[in-house]
Amino acid sequence: MNEMKLDFLRELANIGTGHATTALSQMLDGKLFQLVVPDAQMLPFTEAADYMGGLEKVVVGIFVVISGDVQGHMACLHPLESARTLIRLLTGEDKPEIDEMGRSALQELGNIMVTSFLNALSKMTNLLMMPSVPGLAIDMAGAVWESILAGAEVAGEVTVIRTRFSAEGEAIEGHIIFLPDEDDFNKIARQFGLEEH
Amino acid sequence: MAKTVLITDDTAFMRMTLRNVIEKNGYEVVGEAANGEEAITLYQELKPDLVTMDITMPKVDGITAIKEIMKIDPQAKIIVCSAMGQKPMVIEALSAGAKDFLVKPFDAERVVESLRKIGS
Repeated sequence: MNEMKLDFLRELANIGTGHATTALSQMLDGKLFQLVVPDAQMLPFTEAADYMGGLEKVVVGIFVVISGDVQGHMACLHPLESARTLIRLLTGEDKPEIDEMGRSALQELGNIMVTSFLNALSKMTNLLMMPSVPGLAIDMAGAVWESILAGAEVAGEVTVIRTRFSAEGEAIEGHIIFLPDEDDFNKIARQFGLEEH
Repeated sequence: MAKTVLITDDTAFMRMTLRNVIEKNGYEVVGEAANGEEAITLYQELKPDLVTMDITMPKVDGITAIKEIMKIDPQAKIIVCSAMGQKPMVIEALSAGAKDFLVKPFDAERVVESLRKIGS
């Protein structure tokens, strides 16, 4: 792994995640405090799943396909408990099951987080990055991974950004996955004056 | 008489959030569309004073819907409410005929301010 590329990725992750969590905080009426500096990793597919808590953990995944000047895939994953907390904070309702309105709230939240992340990168690079209508899956992480990666030609490594924050004293965990196509990743890097070696 | 509003967004949660804000401020929500296609049909049926329009939606997206509605009624007052705040998209929406562009997440005040400004 090229050190410079990883550094660059961390920087992208910091900026993108900063914008995404600011957006989330605004949706929660400023009730959110970020605790941990986002940690960006480039990992092989199988290790990425472990890093996020294993393939069998039940998670909520919101995923989009990116088109425009940069193509690729992006997703937000939350452990089920964190997703429930988010629904409660967004809708004011506390239900044992995730109902239609809960799914809809999570979908909108994921959409806003992912799009804010892309808006920040777009502003810095002058490259258009349009997310598709988001998909939503609630399942074991392995199955959600399949939904996210269907269509993404992941040859080797994936970029995972882990964030932890809290809202009204409750911890919320989330992972943001950014998968630009390899050529397009280099396009972003070039906009920042980084050359591939 | 209260001004009428048609809300367009593909998520039920955002339609509910917008409806609450809009109704609390003295406007009447006459319809909700879940995609651009529904927005075009409902616009013709309901002839609302104002329309809120999401961009990224299934079937027919917001940009196409703005263009179609402007063809039907060049006086249509459409306010975009979308997370997709990248410059080329904002320019495209405004050139298609949208009167304002609110980037999600927005606060209630900003929505009301836009409805007042565009609706007057």
